[in-house]
Amino acid sequence: MSEHDKIRQLLALAAASALEENEQALVERHVGECGECARELAAWNAMAGGLRRLPTPRPRAEVVERTRALMIRQLAAEAERRWDLSLLVFAVLFAWTLTLAGWPIARLLTSGAAAWLGYAAYTAFGWVTAGVATAILGVRHRAVRRMA
Amino acid sequence: MAWEVPVGLEGEAARLRRGDPAAFEALLERYQNRLYRYLLRMVREPATAEDLFQQTWLRVAEKIRSYNPQRSFEAWLFSVARNLAIDHLRRYKPESLDEPTATGETRLERLPGQGPTALEGVIVREGSSRMAEALGELPVIYREVLSLRFEEEMKLEEIAEVLGTPLSTVKTRLRRGLEQMRGRLEARGVAGEWQA
Repeated sequence: MSEHDKIRQLLALAAASALEENEQALVERHVGECGECARELAAWNAMAGGLRRLPTPRPRAEVVERTRALMIRQLAAEAERRWDLSLLVFAVLFAWTLTLAGWPIARLLTSGAAAWLGYAAYTAFGWVTAGVATAILGVRHRAVRRMA
Repeated sequence: MAWEVPVGLEGEAARLRRGDPAAFEALLERYQNRLYRYLLRMVREPATAEDLFQQTWLRVAEKIRSYNPQRSFEAWLFSVARNLAIDHLRRYKPESLDEPTATGETRLERLPGQGPTALEGVIVREGSSRMAEALGELPVIYREVLSLRFEEEMKLEEIAEVLGTPLSTVKTRLRRGLEQMRGRLEARGVAGEWQA
């Protein structure tokens, strides 16, 4: 393939400013000497210019407004979800802390089987309360999602 | 690879990551026309483009925490839009998303020889409407790359990021897209009234 043919294949990309520096230099040098390639490059440039000048279609204003409203609601829902998750993590950590801290206290205040019984009741109460709170949160979440 | 991200844009994207509605407002304002234009070039139907426009922003709200602020927000946003558009085209259009299924030769190659002057005549005389029509007739892989390069004025690296393809593929698609577009414009020149 002659240099002329090679350069010709690069002209479309030259018009798209998509050549490497060395390729661009080759094209420029050749086009300076070859009228046929210069005309060809002018044609590609005209087309590239036409593409750049295509009118910009715009979305309807109501679509943008609807998107804005939906997005704001979605961001609020995401923020609430993150808050709920943080709350859940905190609640679990707090429950475990109480559970572990409760054992020495139960031992201190009671003795024998009563200590075990009291501690088991105390732990069960704590976890059942946490479970009920989680279930209520879940039900509330589903209701909010259904309404959205 | 790190992108040169405009300072304002970087701040807005970072604030959106933290769930700031004002940042979203600013980004919507900045990108609404460009994003819609890109989607319209992809799917070619205004109603579908509007639907995908909305879905894109909702997906952005869902996924914003997975966005890496070190990268180009623009490329990330357009890749989210592209994925949705491609899913839509796969579901509802029989159009091939791969290389064109034609014989492999471009329309340009099949046309009788025409000089650059004829092409420039089409562009000058027919103006933007014929250009837009010709662009719309290209296979999606070509019209999206032409739109991203010439309308969105993205760098080749950013286009590669949006498309999830190597830079060499972007260049190949760009060249073939331009060739096909030129073939179509010249075909209009042959059959059209502009020569009269």
